[in-house]
Amino acid sequence: MADLPDIDFTLEFPYTRTTGPVIGPFLTGLRDGRILGTRVGDQVICPPVEYDPDSGATVGPENLVEVGPVGTVDAWTWVAEPTSKHPLDTPFAFAQIKLDGADTTMLHAVDAGSIDAMSTGMRVVVRFNEDRVGSVTDVHFVPGEEAAAPSPVDADEDVEIMEHLIGVRIQEPLQPHRQRFLQGLLQKKIIGQRSPADGKVHVPSRGYDAINRVPMSDADDVEVEGRGTVTSFTEITPIQYHGQTETEPYIRCSILLDGADSTIGGVDVRHIPIDEFRVGMRLEVVWRDDISFDDADNRGYGLNEGVYERWESTGEPDVDPELVKEHNF
Amino acid sequence: MGFEPQENDIAIIGVAQTDAHARYDGPEVVMIMECVNQLLGDAGIERGDVGFTIAGSCDYLSGMPFAFVSNVDGMGAWPPVYESHVEMDGAFALFEAWLRLQMGDIDVAMVVGSGKSSPCNAREVFHLQADPYVVAPLGIDPDAMAGIQAQALIQAGKATEADIADVVVRSRSNAAANPHAQVSGDVSAEDLMSAPYDMAPLRAHDVSPKADGAAAILIARRDRALELTDSPVWITGLDHRIDSHHAGLRDLTDSPSTRLAAAGAGVGDGAVDVAELHVIHSHEEIILRDALGLDDATTINPSGGPLAGDPVMATGLTRIIEVAKRVAEGEASRGVAHATSGAALQQNLVCVLEGGS
Repeated sequence: MADLPDIDFTLEFPYTRTTGPVIGPFLTGLRDGRILGTRVGDQVICPPVEYDPDSGATVGPENLVEVGPVGTVDAWTWVAEPTSKHPLDTPFAFAQIKLDGADTTMLHAVDAGSIDAMSTGMRVVVRFNEDRVGSVTDVHFVPGEEAAAPSPVDADEDVEIMEHLIGVRIQEPLQPHRQRFLQGLLQKKIIGQRSPADGKVHVPSRGYDAINRVPMSDADDVEVEGRGTVTSFTEITPIQYHGQTETEPYIRCSILLDGADSTIGGVDVRHIPIDEFRVGMRLEVVWRDDISFDDADNRGYGLNEGVYERWESTGEPDVDPELVKEHNF
Repeated sequence: MGFEPQENDIAIIGVAQTDAHARYDGPEVVMIMECVNQLLGDAGIERGDVGFTIAGSCDYLSGMPFAFVSNVDGMGAWPPVYESHVEMDGAFALFEAWLRLQMGDIDVAMVVGSGKSSPCNAREVFHLQADPYVVAPLGIDPDAMAGIQAQALIQAGKATEADIADVVVRSRSNAAANPHAQVSGDVSAEDLMSAPYDMAPLRAHDVSPKADGAAAILIARRDRALELTDSPVWITGLDHRIDSHHAGLRDLTDSPSTRLAAAGAGVGDGAVDVAELHVIHSHEEIILRDALGLDDATTINPSGGPLAGDPVMATGLTRIIEVAKRVAEGEASRGVAHATSGAALQQNLVCVLEGGS
């Protein structure tokens, strides 16, 4: 059977930050078309800081002063191949820019067209994007000294919150033990691994026995039943967050499969009423006719949702919960 | 001859490292497990004899929230143990373990650094170390910051592009004797300098090749160390300092935090036979050599250093291992290991290692 395809997903976290008494006005300024630094002793620092870098003393918003819009490039680098996180998607420079009126440099992007246009000491001027939200990415710099009037922005509230969606794209092959486990599921088989150290069967295996610190290989693979005993459960009422797809309450349980010494976790049950659900209950998997999944990964500790239709009662008597209490997570 | 340890002194009593894999197919945990099993086996002790374990790793690299918790499986979650973690290179975990042992109630600690960076573009992760308000949204990653720093160094007349290329030539040549290295061999500075710029004035070879890997160290208080090994390597100085995260407030051509850490660790109190420096961009070696006060009498990065293989999050700890190995084997009597974190050498740890009874 052909290998399942590589994993490819983007993990994202939306950060929301309060901007505080100094960064807030700085970001508000960028939105409104001006750049602010802060006076600390005999220096003007831009971007502004909330503290004196030498003493740690508080520096308040009353010390803010306007700087730029023209500045001088100090050190710089040419980004030949921008990453997806960079503010420009064509080659550009990142530079330390000392804005007129400031004594320290600000890191930012210079859209110079070519590395040959860049040099230490060159003059650059800010360009305000048409759409501005109050972010450091509202602007970039270009060579020259000719300021351009910022377009008007229809906003007058101070920027007190900033949002930053961070994310990383993950691309990797399935690890060998995951490849075999998931291939097994496609054939309606549940593959675990028997530890060569103590004989216990891990399902799904992580590719090693954590108790005895022994890596496991395909020689340790064993098949277990698609039938087992509920060892613990909870009812989840979904709250809405970034990426949430659930809307209705459902049961999430752990099941000790027959022949296994570890439970499969995160099993979601939607076909059995919560008031009938109990520890010790015997369940069996009802496979889908046409098994496929798009959530193959290296991290699972249950069965992928795309492989089964539902879990249903085997009709057998319950197992005494006392007998599975060591497996309740 | 050599260092005379006192009761509270702490020695490295075992080291282990995986290869710097361009891509390791199995779980990160198994790389850790291999190191840990080797460490415990060599020392002839059980996991239960270890009083404190600590790891340095970065969950974002493998895109797995709480990966650091799974990693405990590799160190041995059973029996229960005092356990800690830093979201930094394993070298910084060593710092915490070294402090912990000085409390005196336990006598052996294990330190792990591990990372699986192959699933992602590490540049797209580590830009998040920057100030989150006015820098990180621009995506200025460590390689871009390094390009700026290298340009500043050249502009200030403290290095030339040829000097920077020479660091790569020597690193790759030294790496020929390192079985864990990822790239090695003889190259000429002229050939290197004919390559196109990546983050000008840096070229692709000036940036460490990212790798998957793990490294681990066992440390012990004096009496236990002397029971467990005939060749303890004493940690005679360890310090860790930080420069401003506001790059505009720093002189990027110098590393004041390294200078302070070197003074704190006592680098200048004796001859330094060997130094392993956490150089992930070649020009950094020139800044670090100056800040550490090292001259030509010190062999720099005899393993090839990170430019020959960079198992991210284990790379700094590996510097300590490479020095410890040479001291334990008698090749060097006193050495210095350096680890860094953050963009453009923002945070720096300096460790002095000595042989002796």
